[in-house]
Amino acid sequence: MRTRAGLGLKIAAGFTLAYLHIPIIFVFLYAFTTEEASFKFPPPGFTTAWFDVAWQNSDIRAALGLSLRVAVVSTLVALVVGTLAAAAVWRSNFFGRNTLSLFIILPIALPGIITGIALRSAINLGDLSFSFWTLVIGHATFCVAVAFNNVIARMRRTSPNILEASMDLGARGWQTFRHVLLPQLAPAMVVGGMLAFALSFDEIIVTTFTAGNQQTLPIWIFSSLVRPRNRPVTNVVAVFVILITFIPIILAQRYAQRAEES
Amino acid sequence: MKSRAVLLLAVLAMIVAGCGSGTSDDESDLPTEVGEGEGSVVIVAWAGYIERGETDPAYDWVTDFEADTGCMVEVKTAGTSDEMVALMTGSTEYDLVTASGDSSLRLIAGGSVQEVNIELIPSWDTIDERLQNAEWHTVDGKHYGTPYSSGFNVLGYNTEVFGDAPPDSWSVVFEETVLPDGQSNAGRVQAYDGPIYIADAALYLKATQPDLGIEDPYQLNEDQYQAALELLRQQRELVGRYWHDAFIQIDDFTNEGVAASSTWPFQTNVLQFAGEPIDKVVPVEGATGWADTTMLATNAPHPNCAYMWMEHSLNPKLQGDLAAWFGTVPAVPAACEGNELLGPDGCANNGAEDFDEILFWKTPTDDCNGTAEPGSCVPYYRWTTDYLAVIGGR
Amino acid sequence: MTDASSRQPALHRISTYLHKRPRLRLLLLLALPVVWLVGVYGGSLVSLLLQSFFRLNPFSGVLERVISLDTWRTLFTAANNAVIMRTVGMATAVTVASVILAFPLAYYMARYAGPRVKAILVLAVLVPLWSSYLVRVYSWKLILAADGIINWFVERLGLEGALQALLGAPVIGGPSLSISLFGQFLVFVYIWLPYMILPIHASLERVPRSLLEASADLGARPAFTFRKVTWPMAIPGVAAGSIFTFSLTLGDYIIPTIIGDSSPFIGLAIYSYQGVAGNLPLAAAFSFIPIAVMAVYLTVVRRFGAFEAL
Repeated sequence: MRTRAGLGLKIAAGFTLAYLHIPIIFVFLYAFTTEEASFKFPPPGFTTAWFDVAWQNSDIRAALGLSLRVAVVSTLVALVVGTLAAAAVWRSNFFGRNTLSLFIILPIALPGIITGIALRSAINLGDLSFSFWTLVIGHATFCVAVAFNNVIARMRRTSPNILEASMDLGARGWQTFRHVLLPQLAPAMVVGGMLAFALSFDEIIVTTFTAGNQQTLPIWIFSSLVRPRNRPVTNVVAVFVILITFIPIILAQRYAQRAEES
Repeated sequence: MKSRAVLLLAVLAMIVAGCGSGTSDDESDLPTEVGEGEGSVVIVAWAGYIERGETDPAYDWVTDFEADTGCMVEVKTAGTSDEMVALMTGSTEYDLVTASGDSSLRLIAGGSVQEVNIELIPSWDTIDERLQNAEWHTVDGKHYGTPYSSGFNVLGYNTEVFGDAPPDSWSVVFEETVLPDGQSNAGRVQAYDGPIYIADAALYLKATQPDLGIEDPYQLNEDQYQAALELLRQQRELVGRYWHDAFIQIDDFTNEGVAASSTWPFQTNVLQFAGEPIDKVVPVEGATGWADTTMLATNAPHPNCAYMWMEHSLNPKLQGDLAAWFGTVPAVPAACEGNELLGPDGCANNGAEDFDEILFWKTPTDDCNGTAEPGSCVPYYRWTTDYLAVIGGR
Repeated sequence: MTDASSRQPALHRISTYLHKRPRLRLLLLLALPVVWLVGVYGGSLVSLLLQSFFRLNPFSGVLERVISLDTWRTLFTAANNAVIMRTVGMATAVTVASVILAFPLAYYMARYAGPRVKAILVLAVLVPLWSSYLVRVYSWKLILAADGIINWFVERLGLEGALQALLGAPVIGGPSLSISLFGQFLVFVYIWLPYMILPIHASLERVPRSLLEASADLGARPAFTFRKVTWPMAIPGVAAGSIFTFSLTLGDYIIPTIIGDSSPFIGLAIYSYQGVAGNLPLAAAFSFIPIAVMAVYLTVVRRFGAFEAL
């Protein structure tokens, strides 16, 4: 039994890894270029001035704040709705169970533009004004799928017997939930939440349709890429996002791994 | 007797329902004065049209306005004219829209914008006379907006490709030719991806195929229209990529070896500033252009602030700064003098002298913009479907 | 436990009440998800699709709520069929290429990587997912440009001939990589790769080592074990990943505007039509296509267990 990978596999895996990361290297590189409007290769010069420009720009800070708030709230909502649905689907076999599973996956299986247009029509029909909450509705709709899938996968690996045992030992439903089921689900919810957060944070298509005049970070980046001045600032923003997301990913991963092992 | 009453009621109901969905152009009580500001104004605009110094501190024509009037400016950027029409239709949240000539008439006909009382805009007389009663914003003597800025669709070209023989005709983008650097122009030209570009093809045919009898490139009968489409299908073989975003085109001129394309002075100015070998020219056949008008929404929630903004938009300093930023020609000629950012030659560089040769965008209608029987000209909705098909290679 | 009940009698009563009524419990659990997803989202999808039976006033762009098949007639033209074929073709190519690229890495991560290396690799796969999609696509524009990065290397390695041959190919070629469908294909594969790697990795993780050892003990060669044991267990993951790559490519309108030769794709067509003169009916009619395609795709892919592996 081979315990070490063959060279061919390592090369193939390495190639894929390189394919994933070389463009990111260029994103980093051009955050330092002296060019303003259009990038050339090789870059004519290097400067760190753009970091200062980005820092001063209050639009960026506002957009970043909005994106974070929308992502956090959407993730929480998605986790709640996803867990509720997963709990329902897990143990009961009700009429329309498969239909519900389909509807949960639809927002993520259908192209974003369709989800976006559909939600926009619904918002217009309901005469709502575009606001923070329409953004959250848009994002949570497709984040539910991610939360649902992770939670239900975990639930399927949990034997219902421990719940029975807990009840037999006299625990109330709420206590069983809090002290027995929730710890089992927590790693799945964390992983699902992380993925949902990532999806929401960088989402542009559905967001364009459900935002009013608000600018989330992707919308800001999009609008600023359309006007060719200070273009390296978008690279700076991207670099910043990459760097700050390292930490939560590592933490969440460690947590999930430790939970899996126990 | 009863059934007849019911029938009558039903007919009445249908009439009422039919009336209810019509446009509301029978209200002609214009405001007679600008009241107190409502505290904010929401404008649908092109990216970069309403700057508050975020991108470059020198280009800011908003913060002073906000300080003076107390109307906080919110901008919703739109990418295309059609997006603007879609946003404004039935909207109750936007006050103003900087509409180009290919959407302004649609907005008027659709009832999305209302008549503007030019008496309430003291600087109205400073507007270039050629724009004051332009047909894309003045209908039946009623004005529907304030001219903001104009730009021309010039021919941009790579000076290294053309060397001593700069182009002077649109033929370099419409016909396959060998360019002065010895290579074909196939794959090295671009064209605008908006359906209104069909007018540019018609303009070229006006000069090269006079038997077609094209007078106004926006008013085409069936034969003229089909000829234009045929030219565009031929052009498809030459076009590498159709351009939509100014930035992507700037990138293409820099990195993709584009030799010639219809473009805006904005791109050529930015490229020249960056040291690229690009120049522009208005070819002998003439050129199309766009003249944007700030229009007032029918259900504007902040009409007073809107009027204040329209007045402010004619401020010579704003007009000059905007022209410098965007590479456009100001709607107010006085803005060309004494503007630091624009410089003494700014207006000329942006093409102010070619104004009279430019045929500005207007929406093609099936009655030739009111000059002929309905059905004589090809209406805009056909332009959109057919142009999309041309780009798709059909 | 009596403490809890004496402290919160109401909660205890509710809890017991619900415990005895599984159907009510189910109803409460389902209320929110169903109202939201089936009611709001499903309802809005239906109302969107119903719009395709309306018509647009040709001049003013105002929606006419008149039932007609005009819009549908406009949909099925040769031009639009080309758009559909092109998009489905691209989506298929992207999916296949993604599987080929994703599998080795996912396999290595699941089977051979030690816990530390695995953590680093998962991080390495997630980081692109978290970086801005737009900035990465614009970077590709420079990478693929005629005077861009790939060209720079190609010139120095003397591979111009090969590149020209590729660019001269019909349909997928173009004046430069960035202005070609092949270049667009490269960018699509790049962007969706993490979505393919993660599900495959997850399903490979579930392959018990004992199963592989048993297969080896029974005399199977590695290739055989792969074909008969590993691959079948990876299929749900592949299927799940393919849902993403297929549907994301089907509906994307941003990448075709930045990279490519302006050939229309479904996502772009829908986007243009709902923006172009606000022709929502035509956009709605066009939306039927990806919905129909995905409906078929999901039914097929569900048989392979994709839904459980998402």
